[in-house]
Amino acid sequence: MQDIKSTWHDTLEIIKVSVSPAIFSTWFSQTHLIKIDEINQRFLIEIGCPTSYIKNFIETRYFGLIQDSALKVLGKPCDLTFVVKENPVREKSESKSPSPLFETEENSEIITRALEKAKIRSNFTFENFAVSGSNQMAHAAALAVSENLGNAYNPLFIWGGVGVGKTHLMGAVGNVAIKKNPDLKVLFCTSETFTNDIIEGIRNKTTQSFRDKYRKLDLLLIDDIQFIAGKDTAQEEFFHTFNAVTSSGGQIILTSDRPPSEIAKLEERLRSRFEAGLIVDVAPPDFELRCAIAQIKAKERGLALDMNQIQMIAANVDSARKIEGTLIKIMTQLMGKKVEITDELIENIIGRGVETNGKNIKKDPASVIDAVCHYYQIGKRSLLGDSRSRPIARPRQILMYILRTDLGIPLEEVGRIVGGRDHTTVMHAVEKITQLATTNVQIREDMSKIKLGI
Amino acid sequence: MKLQILQENLSNALNIASRFSSNKVQLPVLGNVLFSAKKSKLVISSTNLEISVSINVGAKVQEEGDLSIPSRVITELVGNLPHDTVDLETTKEQLKVATSSFASNVLGMNSNDFPKIPGSVVASKALTIKQKDFAAALMQVIFATSLDETRPILTGVLVLLDKSDLFLVATDGFRLSQKKIKLSSSSEKIKIVLPKAILSEIARVGGEDDLLFSIEEKEKQAVFGVGEIILSSRLLEGEFPDYEKIIPKSSSYKILADKEEVLRAVKLASIFARDNANIVKIKILKDSLKISAESGQSGNQETKVDAKVEKTGDFDLEIAFNYKYLEDFLHSVVGEEVQMEFSGPTTAGVFRDSIDMSYLHLIMPVRVQG
Repeated sequence: MQDIKSTWHDTLEIIKVSVSPAIFSTWFSQTHLIKIDEINQRFLIEIGCPTSYIKNFIETRYFGLIQDSALKVLGKPCDLTFVVKENPVREKSESKSPSPLFETEENSEIITRALEKAKIRSNFTFENFAVSGSNQMAHAAALAVSENLGNAYNPLFIWGGVGVGKTHLMGAVGNVAIKKNPDLKVLFCTSETFTNDIIEGIRNKTTQSFRDKYRKLDLLLIDDIQFIAGKDTAQEEFFHTFNAVTSSGGQIILTSDRPPSEIAKLEERLRSRFEAGLIVDVAPPDFELRCAIAQIKAKERGLALDMNQIQMIAANVDSARKIEGTLIKIMTQLMGKKVEITDELIENIIGRGVETNGKNIKKDPASVIDAVCHYYQIGKRSLLGDSRSRPIARPRQILMYILRTDLGIPLEEVGRIVGGRDHTTVMHAVEKITQLATTNVQIREDMSKIKLGI
Repeated sequence: MKLQILQENLSNALNIASRFSSNKVQLPVLGNVLFSAKKSKLVISSTNLEISVSINVGAKVQEEGDLSIPSRVITELVGNLPHDTVDLETTKEQLKVATSSFASNVLGMNSNDFPKIPGSVVASKALTIKQKDFAAALMQVIFATSLDETRPILTGVLVLLDKSDLFLVATDGFRLSQKKIKLSSSSEKIKIVLPKAILSEIARVGGEDDLLFSIEEKEKQAVFGVGEIILSSRLLEGEFPDYEKIIPKSSSYKILADKEEVLRAVKLASIFARDNANIVKIKILKDSLKISAESGQSGNQETKVDAKVEKTGDFDLEIAFNYKYLEDFLHSVVGEEVQMEFSGPTTAGVFRDSIDMSYLHLIMPVRVQG
C-alpha cells in the first residue's frame, strides 16, 4: 500500500512546477489525499478539497495535470475522484480557547458549600452505592425518603454491622436533598457530636443557639444513635429536637449498630418513636456485592483491575472497609515499587493479612483449630498430623489461611502451630486458598461458616 | 459580449458582488467579478472561495459572452457614472464601458480562470423562509459568534431545522444567542453550521422577497436565493457545542425592566468599567436593580433602575457581567422591556425580549473575588 501522505506530497511537488505559485497556493495547497485503491493495474485516487468551489475548479481545469503527475509518482495510470472534505490534519489544530459557558458546573460551588455546611461527604451518593439482596431494602427506603422528604418514612432507622454502608446511605439522602435544593437546612452529625453540643451549650449557657441549630432543620441525619443510650440529658434534648423537626415536616434519619429494641438504656418514649418510622437492616455484603464494591472503589481510585482480580479481592476480604484497605495497599505497592498489577501481587497483599482493627486479635489459635475440626468433623490429631490426603489437607490449608490472614500470625508461627511445618508450606497454603476462594463458592461458604464458629 | 444596461442596476449589483471578491492578492482572478451576458440578462458573479454571489441584472443583450474584470476598478467606475444607460462591449480581454459622454477601457481576464459558482437554487429541494424574518433573526444572532479563528466552528452560526421550527444559534463561549423562526412548511431534520460572512450578507440584502434555501450535502455547500440574487457558502465542518444542556431550566430571580433604562445604566457603568476588565455589577433589590461599576483610576458610579422582581431563592444576589455583552444584547432587543433570569453569581443569566419569547440570550457572569 502506498503511503498516502508522501504520495500526495510528491504529486503536489510536480504540480507546483507546472502552475504559477498563486494558482498553486489558492487551489492545491489545501487539498489532501483521502485514499488510494488499486484496481486492475490502475489506481483509484480520492482527493479531498476544502470547499466545493475548489473541487469544481480543479476537477474541470487541472484533472489532466493531476492525473499525469500522479502517474509519475505511482508509476501506474490513475483515475481521480473528488470530494469536499476538510483536511483532517488542519482540523486537529484546534486549541482550547476559554468558553466558560460550556464548562458544566451546575452551580457546583453552591452545592459544595451547602454540603460542607451540612458536613456531608460529597462521595456518599446513590450512584456509587452498590445494591444487592443484602441491602436492597435499605437502599429502596433511602431512595424513597430522598424523593419525598418528611413524608415517606419518618424517621428512617437503618441498622447493621460495621462497614455495611449505613452511613453511606444516609449521606446519599443528604446529597440528593442538597442537590435538589442547596438552600435546604441539612445537618449530618454523630450522636457524639450531638451530645458534645449539648454539653457545650450547658457550659456556656448557650442552649438557645444549640436549639436553633438542631430544631429548625429540614433534614437531620444522626449517625450511631446507639451511643446516646444512657445519657439522660442528651436523650431528653434529642426527644425534643425529634418532635420539633418532625412536627415542622422535617425528615430524620438515624443509624445504629442494632435495632431500637436492643439498644439498652434507651428511654421508652424514644424507642417508641424510632419504632414508629421504618426500621431497615443492612446485612453484611455477600460475594457479588463485594465484587461490585471492589469495582466501584477501584474505579474511584483509578485502579485498573480485571474481573478475576476483583473476584479475588472480594472472595478473600469480607467487608467494604477492608476492600478499601486492600486497594490502598495495592496502590501503595504500585506507586512505591513501580510494578504492574498482577494476580501475584494481589495474592501477596491478601496473603499478608488485612490489618485487623483489634477485633480478631483476641481469638486464640486453639479455638480456630477447634472450629475447623468441628466444621469438617475431623480429629485434631489428623488435622495437625502428616496425612496429605485431600479431605485432611484442604481443611489444614484453610486453617493456615485463617490463622495467617485473620489472626495475622507470622508465617513461621503458623507453621509451628500446625504441627511444626515449614513457613513455605504455610505460604503455599495461603496462596492456594486465596486462589480457590476466588473461583470456588464452596470454599467461600466453608470459610464464612468456620469464622462464625470461632 | 455587447449590451446596454441601466447604471443604477449595474452599480447596485456591483456593490453587492464586490463584497464577495477576495481582497487577498494571492490570485488575481478572485479579486475579479465575472460578467456574463446571457439572453436578456447580465449575470454578475463573485467569490472568495468561501462564499459566492451571482446576481441577475436585466439588460438589453446584443451579443452573448463573458469576461472577468477587477472588482474594485469596475465598481468605483460604474458607481461614479451618471444615472444613464451604460454600454458594455468586450474586445478580446478588454471591456469598453461607455455612456453618452464617457468612454473607458478596462483590462479584464479570461473568464475560464474564474471558478464555477452556483447560479440557481433548485426550487423543488429548497425551503422557503420570509426574507424579512430571516434577516431580523440573523441580526439577533450573528453578533454572538466568535472572532477567534482557533475554534472555527464557533465563528459560524448553527442552523437547526426540526419539523417546522428553524433555530439559529451562535455562541462565542461567553454568551449565546438563540432565535426560533416558525416556518410555514415542515421539512426533514437539518443541522449545519454556516459561516458568519454569508449570513451577514443575507441580512444586508433587503426586500420583500422570500428566501429560498437549499443544502447540497455532498458538496458541503448551502445555496440561497433572494429574488435575482443567488448566494452560496461552504458549510463549516466540526461539532457545534451541545448548547441545549447549558440553557438553565429554572431560575431564582425573574426581573422585568425597561430596556432603554437598563441600556442607559449599562452605558454609564461602562465609562468606569473600561478600566476594570469591563466588569459591571448588577445588584438585585426588592423592586429595582442597582447597576454599578468602579475603577481604581477614574472613580465609581451606580444607577438605580426600577424593575419588577420575582424571587424564589432566599439569598441576595449580586452578579457581574462584561458590559459589552450586556450592551450587545440590549441593542438586539426590539421590544421596550427586557426580561432577565438569574440563578446565582456563577450560572449563566438568561436574557429575553419581553415581547418576543422566540429569542433567547445567555451571558456567562464574570467571577469576581470577594
